[in-house]
Amino acid sequence: MWNYEKRLQFPVHITKPCPKTASLIISQFGGPDGEMAASMRYLSQRYTMPCREVGGLLTDIGTEELAHLEMICAIIYQLTKNITAEQAKVNGFDVYYIDHTSALWPTAAAGIPFNACEFQSKGDAITDLTEDLAAEQKARTTYDNLVRVIEDPEVLAPLKFLRQREIVHFQRFGEALEKIKDNLDAKNFYYFNPEFDKQFVK
Amino acid sequence: MADRAAQLKKIGEISFTLDDLRLFLDTHPLDTDAMNLYQQNLTQRKQLLKQYADDFEPLTTDCICLDTNGGSGACTKYPGQKHWTWNDGPIPWDLAANECATVKGGA
Repeated sequence: MWNYEKRLQFPVHITKPCPKTASLIISQFGGPDGEMAASMRYLSQRYTMPCREVGGLLTDIGTEELAHLEMICAIIYQLTKNITAEQAKVNGFDVYYIDHTSALWPTAAAGIPFNACEFQSKGDAITDLTEDLAAEQKARTTYDNLVRVIEDPEVLAPLKFLRQREIVHFQRFGEALEKIKDNLDAKNFYYFNPEFDKQFVK
Repeated sequence: MADRAAQLKKIGEISFTLDDLRLFLDTHPLDTDAMNLYQQNLTQRKQLLKQYADDFEPLTTDCICLDTNGGSGACTKYPGQKHWTWNDGPIPWDLAANECATVKGGA
């Protein structure tokens, strides 16, 4: 069950429309390391997570990612609000405009639509948490790339906030992986799958 | 009149403190300092959300109170009329709901 709260996690206040910038940032909506993939990854993995606390962490981070998805969409929405057809013709946004006008649709910056193959739910706690650690770093790198090419401080403020959250989530997932290992045989963490071969879990 | 942007900024800051502490406590469930901080901020958040709903409109469904919602600053199509208040207020992703980004200084 989820409840909606009628505010963004961090404010998005962009007064200068720029469809070109929107066409780059949209990757964090529907791209390979975007917020939709992040949320779906954690919210899918949690059901079979053997440790109660780690399942709870996946729920909480997966929920925060939904709030990040909303922030990214707000950034794109404000960057493309009330633009003219002439402004829509800018390279990069023009091809998106033809199919979606100014609406939000999850895609990567290079035009590849959102796809569940962008994340895994493997059913092995060590495998999944290692994927989660990598996912946070990949998203952080994407934010680094965006921050490097974007100059508008009103766009940079929420992007920098989101970048910092990737680092915090990475830290928490690292602690979660240690918690899982605490319940395994320290001589060989890979002897069995803690989500499947439950008879071996301490 | 109550200042919508200033109140929203405070709610955003307190709520973020709770968001961050929640993840920390998920992996440190016995940390007393973090638990105390969570409790203090949670109490404050509840007060701020109630104040905001009284002055403007509800931000969460728990704050919907059809008898008291909609103070002097309410952003509504039905001023002075008893109505369903959940859809009052600026759209969260619009500029008008994010003026708090321009408010200077901490809470």
